[in-house]
Amino acid sequence: MAAKRHVIVGGGTAGWNAITAIREADKGASEITLVADEAPYARMVLPYYLGRQIGETHVLTAGPQRLAALKVTTRLGRRAARVDAAGGKLILDNGDEVPYDDLLIATGSSAVRPPVPGADGAGVHSFWTLPQARAVSGGIQPGARVAMIGAGFIAFTILNALVARGARLTVLEIAPRILPRMVDDAAARIVQAWLEERGVAVRPGVQVTAIEDAGGAKRVRLKAGAPVEADLVIMATGIRPNLEWLKGSGVEVKAGIVVDARMRSSVPNIYAAGDVAEGPDRVTGAKAVHAIEPTAVQHGRVAGANMAGREVAYPGSLLMNIVDVLDLEIASFGAWDDAKAEAFEDLLPGRPSYRKLLFRGGRLVGAILLGRTREIWATNDVGMLKGLVYTGKDLSAWKARLKARPQDIRLAYLATGTAKELLPQTLLGGPSVPERDVTVNA
Amino acid sequence: MRVLKIIPERCTGCMRCELACSYEQTGTFQPSKAVIRVSSFEGHTSYAPYTCPQCAEAWCLTACPVEAIGISPAGAKEVMDDICVGCKLCTIACPYGTVFYDPDSHKAFKCDLCGGKPACATVCPTQAILYVEAGTEDWLGSFAAERALPGALAGVR
Ligand SMILES: Cc1cc2nc3c(=O)[nH]c(=O)nc-3n(C[C@H](O)[C@H](O)[C@H](O)COP(=O)(O)OP(=O)(O)OC[C@H]3O[C@@H](n4cnc5c(N)ncnc54)[C@H](O)[C@@H]3O)c2cc1C
Ligand code: SF4
Repeated sequence: MAAKRHVIVGGGTAGWNAITAIREADKGASEITLVADEAPYARMVLPYYLGRQIGETHVLTAGPQRLAALKVTTRLGRRAARVDAAGGKLILDNGDEVPYDDLLIATGSSAVRPPVPGADGAGVHSFWTLPQARAVSGGIQPGARVAMIGAGFIAFTILNALVARGARLTVLEIAPRILPRMVDDAAARIVQAWLEERGVAVRPGVQVTAIEDAGGAKRVRLKAGAPVEADLVIMATGIRPNLEWLKGSGVEVKAGIVVDARMRSSVPNIYAAGDVAEGPDRVTGAKAVHAIEPTAVQHGRVAGANMAGREVAYPGSLLMNIVDVLDLEIASFGAWDDAKAEAFEDLLPGRPSYRKLLFRGGRLVGAILLGRTREIWATNDVGMLKGLVYTGKDLSAWKARLKARPQDIRLAYLATGTAKELLPQTLLGGPSVPERDVTVNA
Repeated sequence: MRVLKIIPERCTGCMRCELACSYEQTGTFQPSKAVIRVSSFEGHTSYAPYTCPQCAEAWCLTACPVEAIGISPAGAKEVMDDICVGCKLCTIACPYGTVFYDPDSHKAFKCDLCGGKPACATVCPTQAILYVEAGTEDWLGSFAAERALPGALAGVR
């Protein structure tokens, strides 16, 4: 029998995890072709490159030698242009055809900018790709004025690096509060005050109308209020999944490519993973796009295992984010913004400390955690909250107590046997193999 | 593999494990940097230490974007400081609450079984922590269920 031909489009987090999962399972028995317009790297560590904690090579996940060692044929620097699902082939941007037995779409997202005049001008940057990170890094001198347009999670991942590089920051956000898709109003207020006390200007509720040149610098005009002058403008104004090229392919696309628990799309031998996939949500049971790293890792591994012929069902992904800004830790899990949930909050006056637990019946469906970094990590709370939301443990007996003391989750976690429930649960059903130990047969 | 087997009934709450752990891990006595942490129950009448179960398919290891978590010869899932960037993905991946972040070094840290000679087990005067060949288990669940009173608000840290 001829070796199975797997074709992977996109070498980011999901694509790379699929490759290693396939090789873990088949030890090199199949053919893998990676089609990607960039070399494989982990974009989520770009903030540490910007902060000069790591060099550029540290972001790369697999260089040519490693890909060769895993028997991966590469078509790097090429984009997939079209899928011929009936003919079982991928068509590249140069017209080349790559036949496949199964195909994984892992093309991730791209940064988008609002349609304001000057948004594409010189000195205006996105921060999503390595070349963009290089451009931002190269443009910052100590004392440089940086206008960050957008105060979402991605903007926050680079605030520490910008401050460390000596930038003087102004954060502009169109929504009435910062981190609008990561935390609630109460948490956002604390974070804003924290930043302002540390010299970062934060302006939520402002709309950028134009970005102009201003004698070698930039001027960001707002619908109301004084314009902001900056040496560098960063647009962290959202992302969009890279799906245009699938038009006419027959693959069902809603917010993302709709996939089943095995990460298969509506076309059975076409899989999707990561930011482009609309897969099962662990908390709601519905399908959702979770454009976060942990989901891309898990999607990639589950897709890879299934492509390698194993039958692995994905239990669903949990929306979660964690970021610290200037030693304030901020995290949220699951349905933290569920308006129908019963919410228990604990806000310590005069202290940067906030906790919110969201219940549906006896089940914790979401949580927000905020506090000084040093205090948060003296507890087990980050991971325990994750465990409670992930397992959906019945906490009915504990609710009254958690309502009175939302900070006090450790005993509820321990006494409900959360660890016992978690220990047999695995993603692919076997012990971990560190990626660097994955090898193929000669 | 050998694991840290916890027998909570034997724990007296002396906290030596936390101190020894932080000393072994950081060179200083700082319980907030220990990776084994003692909980108290029933208004401080009973105690139990809690640490990483070294789960087989390690959530932290799978999650790391730069492969900074490996498996040591002792079988521990271990953070390699020179590779870790401190992104904390491992800390939210781990559903046990046993991967931490060090705000001083800007790295993740967790139980590494002290390279096969776990300090907590060595110093525990009552043998509440044993380093033995065993399958990993939820050592605290039933002990906590018997002692932690969901309704009570007194005496809990
Ligand atoms: C600065 C920054 C910080 C972040 N921080 C976090 C964080 O702390 N936590 C978190 O959960 N997430 C974070 N993320 C998000 C996380 O990086 C993404 O969710 C993750 O990379 C998604 O993985 P993916 O494989 O789906 O896509 P990607 O990693 O984006 O990979 C997709 C690949 O496909 C390629 N491609 C696209 N179209 C084509 C085509 N037509 N043909 C060939 N190749 C193509 C792309 O060039 C890319 O290489 C961050 C992202 C950034 C930019
Ligand atoms: S904090 Fe370090 S070990 Fe943890 S996921 Fe990030 S890089 Fe890996």
